[in-house]
Amino acid sequence: MSIQSITDIEFGMELGPYLPDTALPNSAAVADAVGWGNAARFTNHERSRKEGLPGALVPGILGMGFLCALIHREIPAARIQKVDCVFRAPLIADQPCAVTAIVTDIDTTAGTAELDLLIRNETNETRVVGTATIRMPK
Amino acid sequence: MVDIEALKSKYLNLVFDRRDFTVQAENSATVARISGETRPEYIDPAHAAFEVFPAYIASLSSGRHLPIDFPALGGLPVDGGKAVTSLQPVPAGVPLNGRTHLHDIYDKSGRSGRMVFLISRMEIYDAAEKLLALADSRMVIRERSES
Repeated sequence: MSIQSITDIEFGMELGPYLPDTALPNSAAVADAVGWGNAARFTNHERSRKEGLPGALVPGILGMGFLCALIHREIPAARIQKVDCVFRAPLIADQPCAVTAIVTDIDTTAGTAELDLLIRNETNETRVVGTATIRMPK
Repeated sequence: MVDIEALKSKYLNLVFDRRDFTVQAENSATVARISGETRPEYIDPAHAAFEVFPAYIASLSSGRHLPIDFPALGGLPVDGGKAVTSLQPVPAGVPLNGRTHLHDIYDKSGRSGRMVFLISRMEIYDAAEKLLALADSRMVIRERSES
Protein backbone atom coordinates (compact mmCIF):
# COMPACT_ATOMS: atom_id res chain seq x y z
CA MET A 1 0.00 0.00 0.00
CA SER A 2 1.29 3.42 -0.91
CA ILE A 3 1.49 5.65 2.15
CA GLN A 4 0.39 9.12 1.18
CA SER A 5 -1.11 10.65 4.30
CA ILE A 6 -1.23 10.31 8.07
CA THR A 7 -4.38 8.20 7.77
CA ASP A 8 -2.40 5.57 5.85
CA ILE A 9 -0.07 5.09 8.84
CA GLU A 10 -1.08 2.28 11.18
CA PHE A 11 -0.09 1.72 14.79
CA GLY A 12 2.44 -1.11 14.95
CA MET A 13 3.33 -0.83 11.28
CA GLU A 14 6.83 -2.13 10.69
CA LEU A 15 9.38 -0.62 8.33
CA GLY A 16 12.27 -2.57 6.90
CA PRO A 17 14.46 -4.39 7.19
CA TYR A 18 16.71 -2.15 5.15
CA LEU A 19 20.14 -3.64 4.64
CA PRO A 20 22.53 -0.73 4.07
CA ASP A 21 25.97 -0.91 2.53
CA THR A 22 28.48 -0.78 5.41
CA ALA A 23 31.57 -1.13 3.21
CA LEU A 24 34.69 0.44 4.66
CA PRO A 25 35.15 2.94 1.81
CA ASN A 26 31.70 4.32 2.63
CA SER A 27 32.68 4.99 6.23
CA ALA A 28 35.83 6.70 5.00
CA ALA A 29 33.90 8.79 2.49
CA VAL A 30 31.42 9.95 5.12
CA ALA A 31 34.21 10.83 7.55
CA ASP A 32 35.86 12.82 4.79
CA ALA A 33 32.61 14.56 3.77
CA VAL A 34 31.97 15.81 7.31
CA GLY A 35 35.54 16.98 7.80
CA TRP A 36 36.89 14.24 10.03
CA GLY A 37 39.67 13.53 7.56
CA ASN A 38 41.16 10.10 7.28
CA ALA A 39 40.93 9.07 10.94
CA ALA A 40 42.02 5.44 11.19
CA ARG A 41 38.92 4.49 13.14
CA PHE A 42 36.84 5.05 10.00
CA THR A 43 39.31 4.02 7.33
CA ASN A 44 41.45 1.10 8.44
CA HIS A 45 40.52 -2.09 10.31
CA GLU A 46 44.03 -3.03 11.36
CA ARG A 47 44.96 0.40 12.69
CA SER A 48 41.61 0.61 14.47
CA ARG A 49 42.30 -2.67 16.23
CA LYS A 50 45.67 -1.32 17.34
CA GLU A 51 43.73 1.57 18.91
CA GLY A 52 41.69 -0.97 20.87
CA LEU A 53 38.59 -0.91 18.71
CA PRO A 54 36.96 -4.06 17.34
CA GLY A 55 37.56 -2.79 13.81
CA ALA A 56 36.98 0.30 11.72
CA LEU A 57 33.72 1.93 12.71
CA VAL A 58 30.70 3.04 10.78
CA PRO A 59 30.41 6.69 11.86
CA GLY A 60 27.49 7.28 14.19
CA ILE A 61 26.05 9.86 11.84
CA LEU A 62 26.01 7.26 9.07
CA GLY A 63 23.94 5.03 11.35
CA MET A 64 21.57 7.95 11.71
CA GLY A 65 21.64 8.30 7.94
CA PHE A 66 20.61 4.65 7.54
CA LEU A 67 17.63 5.30 9.82
CA CYS A 68 16.57 8.42 7.90
CA ALA A 69 16.94 6.55 4.61
CA LEU A 70 14.73 3.72 5.85
CA ILE A 71 11.96 6.18 6.74
CA HIS A 72 12.13 7.98 3.41
CA ARG A 73 12.37 4.74 1.42
CA GLU A 74 9.23 3.30 2.96
CA ILE A 75 7.27 6.50 3.58
CA PRO A 76 8.37 8.93 0.84
CA ALA A 77 5.76 11.49 1.92
CA ALA A 78 7.24 11.69 5.43
CA ARG A 79 9.18 14.69 6.62
CA ILE A 80 11.44 13.89 9.56
CA GLN A 81 10.83 16.45 12.29
CA LYS A 82 13.13 14.83 14.81
CA VAL A 83 15.45 11.87 14.83
CA ASP A 84 17.23 10.80 18.00
CA CYS A 85 19.82 8.00 18.06
CA VAL A 86 21.50 6.29 20.99
CA PHE A 87 24.78 4.63 20.07
CA ARG A 88 24.68 1.56 22.30
CA ALA A 89 27.59 -0.20 20.66
CA PRO A 90 29.71 0.41 17.59
CA LEU A 91 28.65 -0.58 14.12
CA ILE A 92 31.65 -2.16 12.41
CA ALA A 93 32.44 -1.45 8.78
CA ASP A 94 32.12 -4.37 6.37
CA GLN A 95 29.76 -6.16 8.74
CA PRO A 96 26.13 -6.45 7.65
CA CYS A 97 23.41 -4.80 9.67
CA ALA A 98 19.64 -4.52 9.46
CA VAL A 99 17.68 -1.34 9.97
CA THR A 100 14.06 -1.50 11.12
CA ALA A 101 11.39 0.73 12.60
CA ILE A 102 7.95 0.40 14.10
CA VAL A 103 5.20 2.98 14.46
CA THR A 104 4.47 3.56 18.14
CA ASP A 105 2.11 6.53 18.13
CA ILE A 106 -0.02 8.47 15.69
CA ASP A 107 -1.54 11.93 16.04
CA THR A 108 -3.92 12.38 13.14
CA THR A 109 -4.84 15.89 14.28
CA ALA A 110 -1.24 17.07 14.21
CA GLY A 111 -0.37 14.87 11.24
CA THR A 112 2.55 13.28 13.04
CA ALA A 113 3.68 9.78 13.93
CA GLU A 114 6.31 8.42 16.31
CA LEU A 115 8.62 5.58 15.39
CA ASP A 116 11.02 3.41 17.33
CA LEU A 117 14.20 2.77 15.36
CA LEU A 118 16.68 -0.08 15.56
CA ILE A 119 19.92 -1.20 13.97
CA ARG A 120 21.07 -4.76 14.64
CA ASN A 121 24.20 -6.49 13.45
CA GLU A 122 24.41 -9.90 11.80
CA THR A 123 24.29 -11.70 15.17
CA ASN A 124 21.12 -9.81 16.03
CA GLU A 125 22.82 -7.63 18.63
CA THR A 126 21.34 -4.17 19.05
CA ARG A 127 23.87 -1.50 18.08
CA VAL A 128 21.78 1.65 17.66
CA VAL A 129 18.33 2.49 19.00
CA GLY A 130 16.40 5.63 18.39
CA THR A 131 13.14 7.41 17.88
CA ALA A 132 11.79 9.63 15.18
CA THR A 133 8.89 11.99 14.75
CA ILE A 134 7.61 12.30 11.22
CA ARG A 135 5.13 14.74 9.78
CA MET A 136 2.73 13.56 7.09
CA PRO A 137 0.17 15.25 4.86
CA LYS A 138 -3.27 15.06 6.49
CA MET B 1 31.32 12.63 43.38
CA VAL B 2 30.42 15.65 41.32
CA ASP B 3 27.21 17.49 42.20
CA ILE B 4 24.99 17.27 39.11
CA GLU B 5 22.64 20.00 40.34
CA ALA B 6 25.57 22.35 40.86
CA LEU B 7 26.78 21.66 37.33
CA LYS B 8 23.32 22.34 35.97
CA SER B 9 23.07 25.62 37.86
CA LYS B 10 26.41 26.81 36.60
CA TYR B 11 26.47 25.60 33.01
CA LEU B 12 23.04 24.89 31.52
CA ASN B 13 21.74 27.10 28.73
CA LEU B 14 24.78 29.35 28.48
CA VAL B 15 26.14 29.65 24.95
CA PHE B 16 29.80 28.66 25.07
CA ASP B 17 30.59 28.35 21.39
CA ARG B 18 29.56 30.29 18.29
CA ARG B 19 30.75 29.62 14.81
CA ASP B 20 29.92 30.61 11.26
CA PHE B 21 29.93 28.00 8.55
CA THR B 22 28.53 27.09 5.17
CA VAL B 23 27.46 23.57 4.28
CA GLN B 24 28.78 22.40 0.92
CA ALA B 25 25.88 20.73 -0.86
CA GLU B 26 28.01 17.93 -2.30
CA ASN B 27 29.27 16.93 1.14
CA SER B 28 25.74 16.59 2.49
CA ALA B 29 24.63 14.76 -0.65
CA THR B 30 27.53 12.33 -0.25
CA VAL B 31 26.40 11.41 3.26
CA ALA B 32 22.82 11.05 2.04
CA ARG B 33 23.71 8.86 -0.94
CA ILE B 34 25.93 6.57 1.13
CA SER B 35 23.14 6.27 3.69
CA GLY B 36 20.92 4.92 0.95
CA GLU B 37 18.72 7.99 0.87
CA THR B 38 16.41 8.14 -2.15
CA ARG B 39 14.76 11.56 -1.90
CA PRO B 40 16.16 13.89 -4.58
CA GLU B 41 16.09 16.95 -2.35
CA TYR B 42 18.79 15.28 -0.23
CA ILE B 43 20.91 13.53 -2.85
CA ASP B 44 20.86 15.94 -5.80
CA PRO B 45 22.57 19.29 -5.14
CA ALA B 46 20.98 20.65 -8.32
CA HIS B 47 17.46 19.96 -7.05
CA ALA B 48 15.46 23.17 -6.62
CA ALA B 49 14.46 22.20 -3.07
CA PHE B 50 17.83 20.76 -2.04
CA GLU B 51 18.37 20.78 1.70
CA VAL B 52 20.96 19.46 4.11
CA PHE B 53 20.45 15.81 5.11
CA PRO B 54 19.55 15.33 8.81
CA ALA B 55 22.51 13.05 9.48
CA TYR B 56 24.85 15.69 8.07
CA ILE B 57 23.27 18.25 10.39
CA ALA B 58 24.16 15.91 13.26
CA SER B 59 27.82 16.14 12.28
CA LEU B 60 27.78 19.91 12.74
CA SER B 61 27.59 19.53 16.50
CA SER B 62 30.92 17.71 16.59
CA GLY B 63 33.92 19.52 17.96
CA ARG B 64 34.13 21.33 21.26
CA HIS B 65 31.21 19.98 23.26
CA LEU B 66 31.88 21.50 26.66
CA PRO B 67 32.56 24.94 28.12
CA ILE B 68 36.25 25.56 28.46
CA ASP B 69 36.08 25.65 32.27
CA PHE B 70 33.89 22.55 32.61
CA PRO B 71 35.38 20.25 35.26
CA ALA B 72 37.01 16.96 34.34
CA LEU B 73 34.74 14.13 35.47
CA GLY B 74 36.84 11.11 34.62
CA GLY B 75 37.64 9.49 31.32
CA LEU B 76 37.19 10.94 27.89
CA PRO B 77 33.62 11.58 26.82
CA VAL B 78 32.17 8.85 24.60
CA ASP B 79 29.78 9.70 21.80
CA GLY B 80 26.54 8.35 23.22
CA GLY B 81 24.23 9.54 20.50
CA LYS B 82 22.94 12.39 18.44
CA ALA B 83 19.62 13.99 17.69
CA VAL B 84 18.44 16.42 15.07
CA THR B 85 15.28 18.50 15.21
CA SER B 86 14.33 20.04 11.90
CA LEU B 87 12.37 23.25 12.24
CA GLN B 88 12.95 24.55 8.71
CA PRO B 89 14.86 23.12 5.76
CA VAL B 90 18.58 23.84 6.21
CA PRO B 91 19.95 25.22 2.94
CA ALA B 92 23.43 24.52 1.59
CA GLY B 93 25.77 27.15 0.23
CA VAL B 94 24.60 29.99 2.45
CA PRO B 95 26.07 31.44 5.64
CA LEU B 96 24.84 29.75 8.81
CA ASN B 97 25.62 30.36 12.44
CA GLY B 98 25.80 27.65 15.11
CA ARG B 99 25.45 28.46 18.81
CA THR B 100 26.13 25.72 21.30
CA HIS B 101 25.04 25.39 24.90
CA LEU B 102 24.72 22.59 27.40
CA HIS B 103 21.08 21.57 27.21
CA ASP B 104 20.93 18.89 29.90
CA ILE B 105 23.08 17.09 32.44
CA TYR B 106 21.96 13.92 34.22
CA ASP B 107 23.42 10.77 35.68
CA LYS B 108 22.65 7.07 35.87
CA SER B 109 24.18 4.66 38.32
CA GLY B 110 24.81 1.01 37.68
CA ARG B 111 26.97 -1.86 38.82
CA SER B 112 30.03 -0.35 37.18
CA GLY B 113 29.55 3.05 38.80
CA ARG B 114 28.00 6.31 37.81
CA MET B 115 27.73 7.57 34.26
CA VAL B 116 27.24 11.26 33.60
CA PHE B 117 25.35 12.28 30.49
CA LEU B 118 25.91 15.68 28.93
CA ILE B 119 23.68 16.95 26.14
CA SER B 120 25.18 19.79 24.14
CA ARG B 121 22.85 21.51 21.71
CA MET B 122 23.81 23.53 18.68
CA GLU B 123 21.13 25.91 17.47
CA ILE B 124 21.55 26.59 13.77
CA TYR B 125 20.45 29.99 12.47
CA ASP B 126 20.43 31.51 9.03
CA ALA B 127 21.63 35.04 8.22
CA ALA B 128 18.14 36.39 9.00
CA GLU B 129 18.37 34.92 12.52
CA LYS B 130 15.74 32.32 11.77
CA LEU B 131 16.23 29.17 13.84
CA LEU B 132 16.44 26.28 11.37
CA ALA B 133 17.47 23.22 13.31
CA LEU B 134 18.76 21.82 16.58
CA ALA B 135 21.67 19.38 16.66
CA ASP B 136 22.13 17.57 19.96
CA SER B 137 25.20 15.60 20.89
CA ARG B 138 24.97 13.18 23.83
CA MET B 139 28.26 12.60 25.63
CA VAL B 140 28.68 9.88 28.22
CA ILE B 141 31.41 10.02 30.84
CA ARG B 142 32.15 7.21 33.24
CA GLU B 143 32.88 9.01 36.49
CA ARG B 144 36.30 8.30 37.92
CA SER B 145 36.18 6.37 41.18
CA GLU B 146 37.38 8.32 44.23
CA SER B 147 38.67 5.17 45.96
